[in-house]
Amino acid sequence: MFGPESAHSPNADDLNALYWVLLAIAVALALAINGALIWLAMRYRTARGSEPRRLRSRRPAQVLVAGSFGVLALVLFVLGVVFTESASDVEPSGPDGLQASSQLTAQRDLSIPVDTEPLTITASGQQWLWRYEYPDGTYSYYELVVPVDTAVLVELDSTDVVHRWWVPGLGGKFDVVPNQVSRTWFKADTEGVYYGSSYQFSGASYAAMRTEVQVVSPTEYQAWLTQQADDIAAAQDFVQEELAIRGEPGTRSGAASVQPVGGEQ
Amino acid sequence: MSGAITPQRPELVSEGVPSRRPRWLEIATSGDHKDVGRMLVAASLGFLTLGLLAFLLIRLQLIVPENTLIEPVTFNRLLSVMAATLVMLFALPLALGLFTYLVPLQVGARSLAFPRLANLGAWLYIVGGAVLYISFVYTPPEAGVNPLPPLSDTAFISNNGVDVWIAAVGLSALGFTLLALNLLVTLRKMRAPGLAWRRLPPFSFSAAVSSWILLVIGPAMLAALTMLEIDRHFGGVFFDPGEGGAPTYWQHLSWIFFTGCYLLMILPAAGAISEILPTFSRKPLISRRAVNASMAAIGAIGLLAWMQNMFTASIPVGWLYFAMLAALALIVPLGVLFVNWLGTLASGAIEMRAPMLFALGAISTLSIGLTAELAHAVVPVNWLLADTTDSTGATGYVLVGGSVLGGLAALHYWFPKMTGRLMGESQARISFWAIIAGVQLTFIPMFLAGLNGQPVDAYKYYEDSVYDGSGTGLEVVTDSFQSLDTYNLLTTIGAFILVTGIVLSLVNAVRSLSHGVRAGHDPWGGDTLEWLALSPPPPHNFDVVPDVRSDEPMRDIRDAVRERQAPAPPAKAESDEPVA
Repeated sequence: MFGPESAHSPNADDLNALYWVLLAIAVALALAINGALIWLAMRYRTARGSEPRRLRSRRPAQVLVAGSFGVLALVLFVLGVVFTESASDVEPSGPDGLQASSQLTAQRDLSIPVDTEPLTITASGQQWLWRYEYPDGTYSYYELVVPVDTAVLVELDSTDVVHRWWVPGLGGKFDVVPNQVSRTWFKADTEGVYYGSSYQFSGASYAAMRTEVQVVSPTEYQAWLTQQADDIAAAQDFVQEELAIRGEPGTRSGAASVQPVGGEQ
Repeated sequence: MSGAITPQRPELVSEGVPSRRPRWLEIATSGDHKDVGRMLVAASLGFLTLGLLAFLLIRLQLIVPENTLIEPVTFNRLLSVMAATLVMLFALPLALGLFTYLVPLQVGARSLAFPRLANLGAWLYIVGGAVLYISFVYTPPEAGVNPLPPLSDTAFISNNGVDVWIAAVGLSALGFTLLALNLLVTLRKMRAPGLAWRRLPPFSFSAAVSSWILLVIGPAMLAALTMLEIDRHFGGVFFDPGEGGAPTYWQHLSWIFFTGCYLLMILPAAGAISEILPTFSRKPLISRRAVNASMAAIGAIGLLAWMQNMFTASIPVGWLYFAMLAALALIVPLGVLFVNWLGTLASGAIEMRAPMLFALGAISTLSIGLTAELAHAVVPVNWLLADTTDSTGATGYVLVGGSVLGGLAALHYWFPKMTGRLMGESQARISFWAIIAGVQLTFIPMFLAGLNGQPVDAYKYYEDSVYDGSGTGLEVVTDSFQSLDTYNLLTTIGAFILVTGIVLSLVNAVRSLSHGVRAGHDPWGGDTLEWLALSPPPPHNFDVVPDVRSDEPMRDIRDAVRERQAPAPPAKAESDEPVA
């Protein structure tokens, strides 16, 4: 209730660990200030007319207060840097994961060890849905299917306005900006469904811009990929046939032809 | 003109000359800082009422999951207008109105440095606010709290809503910049003899810091708005990602502005609190120097932390650390400020009148909002909490703590000076407790809903059953997006209590204009110069501008009066003589 979603990826572990530190500090500070405030206001409440001593603080006391808050700020800063670096280190896929599944890609913000080969997925935000493209060119809308215990590199990209991608439990949230690639990663430790959403206001149906991550075993993942490719091919054939019947030239192909209603602007 | 702003001016004044124009026209065109200040305060409280109405409509839409009470586009318009109203049309002008009214009085000046400029600034703001609300007859803005390009470009929102937003925010920002400039020159050139910077009352000092902030952020926002308008209608590509521009430019410029606005919710309240606590504890601040230095540091460091709102953006990690360092460094001046306030209360003789009650409430509410904000200052935690309703909750605590409770504390404290009457004490108490209860009930469930993943600014959320994994044949691993219905219901109930509390105070203020108990020139026993003037002060403020010998000039004056009266019979008891 007072914590974030339990972590199911190493980077989410880092985020959650620091969250509990900050929650403890914030609650302690707020309780200390409010407790002192209420106690002082009740203790020194008097009738009008009495003249209290006009106490003034000395400089060393103020410096001591500033110094102790300075130490707190410094400690938090160091913790922040350490955990940001740690959350940006892509871990190699585990033994249960998909092995050697994808080519190694150019590195930007994330530090990817040379011996890991993360599965690279492009998550593309568009008003008002998410489109996922897999290494073999297959794609899916709304749901992202990935193998368990596998390092997944998510390249974030937008076709229209700024969006923000986040699936609680699988790391942090990041901006999705047109013509600009930003990245995040996760390595899910449990098979099942994870829900997420867009977190940047993007117009009329922004609230409906949800997503879901289905984490399955590597074999199920491969089976799903084949099935999805077949479904897409079948849908394209159907569209081509329809177009042929109506006598229109089948100029549109691929992704655009099976895009759901409400897709691109 | 240059001679007019030096302290040595002719002591000849004329008043009581019958005016040839109606009273309202006199006030509307007045260069008297007190008329301008009253206009700003009245307009900001009027716009607050409208903003609260939009807030309640938004909360009604979110009272149950997947509510269809309000259309998505209407919701987005209310959202856009509410955010612009609470920040641009309420928080900033209320602070500037109080500053414009009180700074000349506190520094012993007879007017502002540029009287007509103040009038222009106030009218620019009022016209900006009118532009925003008149747009409801055609198209109000609908591009969110901060209209990020490309969404705010004509390709995605082709109606004139965004132009309305640009005009409203631009006119207000220009007005605020002019008012700030005026305050700064007044503070620099027109202080009473002996009133050194180190003796400046904290409220006037916070006016100086706030004005400097506005001089930095106002022009930045005006530039950004101009660029956005050029992008929209004159073929510009400043923020167009397809043409070599970058949406991130807008984020930087607008967040510099909104970070400054955030500081302007805290600093004026901090100044007012630092005046009210000593008055009602009957002892001085334990260190005025530390309080003023903290406020200056909050202004300087706070602005450097603008990228704290962009931790999720694709910016180099070194800049993230710079912003994180600035945001965390704010702990130091904020901590010193809170410790000084608590230290001032200690062993005081606390008299719990309405202004004191609101000031203590402001400290409490601000402390919760600012410690909640502390979590957002650390990059990895920000990645968890940003853009969920948790960030709305933290900002809400600061807005209510600073601008609402801090503003009401200042209003209750200086209302007798501005009108000659006290505000009703018992209504103030009911209003206060309603606000304190309402703020917790509104924003604590928001924190919890944010932890469960509720996105910010969304016109609806879904029932728990939407997230049961049906249709996938898989088990749901996480419990995100659960219990949002309970949390949002509590928030809506809290919002109604909170708004009731605020409206009670506004009603109290209006009623007290004619029904309040008459106050003398110094009902609280304040230590600053404004309590020397009559209530309300005459157009020229002071018959004689006193010499200032310490940081508590009114205390010196009272002592001097008492000394002279001691041997003599109490004949001239109410004389307002300066320190000899």
